[in-house]
Amino acid sequence: MATAVTRIDKPLTAAIPKKKKKWQSYALLFILPSFLIYTLFVIVPTAGSIYLSFTSWDGISEDVRYIGFANFVEIWQSPRVHNALKNTLVMTVSLVLLENIAAIMLAVLVDKVRWFRNLFRSIFYFPTLLSGIVMGFVWAMILNYNFGVFNQILDAIGLGSWVVDWLGNPKYAMISIILSTVWKGAGYYMIIYLAGLQGIPAELNEAASIDGASGFQQFRHITFPLLAGSMTVCLVLSMISALKIFDQIAVMTDGGPGFETETLTYIIYKVGFGELRQGFGTALAMVLFLIIMLITVIQVKFLRKREVQM
Amino acid sequence: MQKKTMTKLSVLLLAATTVLSACGSNNNNSKAGNTGGNTAASQSPDAAATDAKKEVSFSIGYAAGDPATKKAIAATVEAFMKVSPNVKIKDISETTSSAYLDWLKTKDAVGEFPDLVEMRDTEVFADAGKIVELPSDLLELFKDPPQVKGKVWNAPMSVNVPQGIIYSKKAYADAGITELPKTYDEFITIQDKLKTSGITPIVVGGKDIFHMGFWVNKFLIDDVYTKDPDWNSKRTAKTVSFTDPNVVQAMTDFKDLFTNYVDKGWLSTGDNQTASILVSGKAAQLFSGTWMFSQIKEADPNFEFGFYAVPDREGKVNVIGLPSPAGWSLSAEAAKDAGKTQAIKDFIRFFFAPEQYAAYLASINAIPSTKEKVIYETGEQMQAALDLIADPNVTKSLAINNWWGDNLIPPQFRNWYYKLLQDLVVKNGDVAGYMKQADTEYDAQVKANAQ
Repeated sequence: MATAVTRIDKPLTAAIPKKKKKWQSYALLFILPSFLIYTLFVIVPTAGSIYLSFTSWDGISEDVRYIGFANFVEIWQSPRVHNALKNTLVMTVSLVLLENIAAIMLAVLVDKVRWFRNLFRSIFYFPTLLSGIVMGFVWAMILNYNFGVFNQILDAIGLGSWVVDWLGNPKYAMISIILSTVWKGAGYYMIIYLAGLQGIPAELNEAASIDGASGFQQFRHITFPLLAGSMTVCLVLSMISALKIFDQIAVMTDGGPGFETETLTYIIYKVGFGELRQGFGTALAMVLFLIIMLITVIQVKFLRKREVQM
Repeated sequence: MQKKTMTKLSVLLLAATTVLSACGSNNNNSKAGNTGGNTAASQSPDAAATDAKKEVSFSIGYAAGDPATKKAIAATVEAFMKVSPNVKIKDISETTSSAYLDWLKTKDAVGEFPDLVEMRDTEVFADAGKIVELPSDLLELFKDPPQVKGKVWNAPMSVNVPQGIIYSKKAYADAGITELPKTYDEFITIQDKLKTSGITPIVVGGKDIFHMGFWVNKFLIDDVYTKDPDWNSKRTAKTVSFTDPNVVQAMTDFKDLFTNYVDKGWLSTGDNQTASILVSGKAAQLFSGTWMFSQIKEADPNFEFGFYAVPDREGKVNVIGLPSPAGWSLSAEAAKDAGKTQAIKDFIRFFFAPEQYAAYLASINAIPSTKEKVIYETGEQMQAALDLIADPNVTKSLAINNWWGDNLIPPQFRNWYYKLLQDLVVKNGDVAGYMKQADTEYDAQVKANAQ
């Protein structure tokens, strides 16, 4: 009996690998260009960066000296780096929360609205089309103490006492950057949440409505749990984007006032390019890479578990 | 059939890889006439002369933050290309929100270091082998070009100009100010009068980190550098400290001035906005250099303003005015190309020819660095600046980052220190505590640079 089975299986198993082999050759050829480019522009520079992080290279001379773990010891001890790390974490937590809350609210709003649905989608999505630099310039002009339209409006409506230097006052500089970044980023996540919302069967809400559930109860017990997949994507993307925030800071505050809005990515650029310490900057970049990797792994693990539970 | 398809795909991939490789090739090496050798600029061969009409192109980069300077240099570049049609100059200067050093370093990182570059951190770039000595036949053009380690690296674009108070005559008259201050205390009395009259006394473009240096260095020069021009080298050797009473006094004066008399929006005001704020009457004074005169006149030709140097407590006047190694430098890469070197030398001669140079100096109110006399029309404010330079009783000094040799500070320290001082003001910090931080950071940077 067993021999018979072997006889039937033999020609089949011989034919499949041949076909597979052919397709595998094509697949490898198609993958090869991407693999080469990725290796050339990502893997090789990353490997080079690992070496540079152990040097005192200034970025312009040919003198690249190996200094062991000195850069990492300095990172561990530097109050400026600690401050940048603190600012990065504050900014990341705030941005992840606010961008996602705003995006869910906008998505629900756009999903429910009866008229001008496409117009609203376009309006909310439009800021994401701007580059961080352009967005930074726009908001820097709006929030400028002397010429900015925001302070002029406050003045015009009798709130002159509220006029402050939004980007120069340490109390408000960070908040200003966070809110302007939420304005730019929320539209992007709104689209992902909107796709999630449209995948929720209407019957569930209808049934809940018949059972007497209020709008909020429907959102709390049906919509929100079923958005878990979209939320995983949005939380991870917004977290990575927040950890790497750079453009807005460069244009709006230059890391200031003082060091109030200096983040890890910004300090990497400042020390690497402005302060002629490429080796130290690269070591900082390696630290940031590890932080992002660690947080992403934890976040994805937690959110996937939550998705399964939902 | 399969073999044929595979061959086609392989050819396609090979072609794509070749195109990508070509995109990545160094454009510095693709120019015609590149000898590829290591000849210094001073060794430019006569062959260049015979090839005088050969098409040559070179890139130029300079600090383009000040609109008047950008306009003046761009006009000279244009004029040169008209008289030398075989030379094409690619102006790669950009007005960015970054400091000039950041921009230059970024250009170097992407392989676009300018062939002819306005150099400010001469010693750093000379040590890194990025620039070469100024060709010896150009040295005759200049009065007394500063040397670094016994060598001249720059064609100085002008002599360092004094910085001082640019004030609105109307605001002074409205506040009842009839005399200019003779001591720092009288200067503070003037600030109080201006404040009482309802106008913001001083506008500061603190968003641009270099602008912070104007006031910081005024106080450092008064209390530190006039008394000890070698203070920086002593700080590096740890024989003096930022916590010494004279430095603490200087920074206390800085903090008090910024807390009490400076426009509240100083940290979000760019240097290029200060002229508008001054002429609009929102502020009465601006502390800056002579290059601002043309910007102010452009902003409002009818605006009446004066210029003076702020005296110290003892009534002495100390200003920036010593020569420093900065100016046009030839990149080491360009120096390898004889044709390019000759074209750059021709451009430098053209730039400093009296008829061109006078227009450049007049447009930015600068002081000539050349041996040959250059005559141009100056206004009342520029005359006040020239009087300061000519006055032997006025002490001439330099900003913290413009010293060289043993007095060179770690290149990264300047911006960090200015930011620390921003922090000091906005957080109403303890000056001595902040100066202690400055000591720690200075030593750390000296140590890091020595590694």
